[in-house]
Amino acid sequence: MTVPDPTTPDPTLLDPRTPGPARTNRGPGRVLVAVYGLFALAATSRAAVQLITSYSEAPLAYLLSALAAVVYIIATLTLARSTRRSRRVAWAAILLELVGVLSVGTASVLDPAAFPRATVWSVYGIGYGFVPLVLPFLGLLWLLRTRPR
Amino acid sequence: MNDVLAYTVVALSGAAVVWGLVTAAVDKPPGKAQLLFAALVELVTVVQSGLAGVRLALGFRPVETATTIGYLLGIVVLLPVAWLWANSERTRFSGVVLAVAALGVLAMTLRLLVLWTPAA
Repeated sequence: MTVPDPTTPDPTLLDPRTPGPARTNRGPGRVLVAVYGLFALAATSRAAVQLITSYSEAPLAYLLSALAAVVYIIATLTLARSTRRSRRVAWAAILLELVGVLSVGTASVLDPAAFPRATVWSVYGIGYGFVPLVLPFLGLLWLLRTRPR
Repeated sequence: MNDVLAYTVVALSGAAVVWGLVTAAVDKPPGKAQLLFAALVELVTVVQSGLAGVRLALGFRPVETATTIGYLLGIVVLLPVAWLWANSERTRFSGVVLAVAALGVLAMTLRLLVLWTPAA
């Protein structure tokens, strides 16, 4: 009988190329989860501050901020979990994120007056180095790449 | 904000970003020195948030107090979470994870410097 050596980590944790079902939380997916986590924090704190301190100033922008926060939190958690079910939720969340950044981005360019206070998605995420625009494409690409076959 | 401390955080976190990307480029997980360095960046960040918190408690009011408090709290959780996430699967990507968090700390510190002007 072999006793597992506690100093040797599970080899599947060390090598992302370990055969088996592709996982969204392995290899480069670790970085994607980290970036989504960073945006979950940024969007959540922004939305919390806006909703608590000055909701009446720009209710639409602030509710969109809150929606963005929820989408980022769900995407972070589901990509990190990487179960069959969480992958499906991740697809939905990231598609919603893509629609959100494209529609809010376009609307804020066409009608800046409607967005007096910035959301994470205003002008396609210009305040965050346009990462909010790139992120959903990377997310969808990663979900495609890790698709179970 | 203490400017010297803030720019120290900027410089240290900038170095952590570069370090994380370099270990990723040479296909190595972060080494012990790199992880200790990330802990040092976190320590200085905590001191920065602590001192700013004291200034706020003593009555200093920046333009956007709520946003400032959010940043001061949020900035200290980034590196510990990234540290754990980077270490739970040690590959070249662990370094990128640390770099992402350090870049967050850098950007938030620069934003805090801008926010830290007294309300009229």
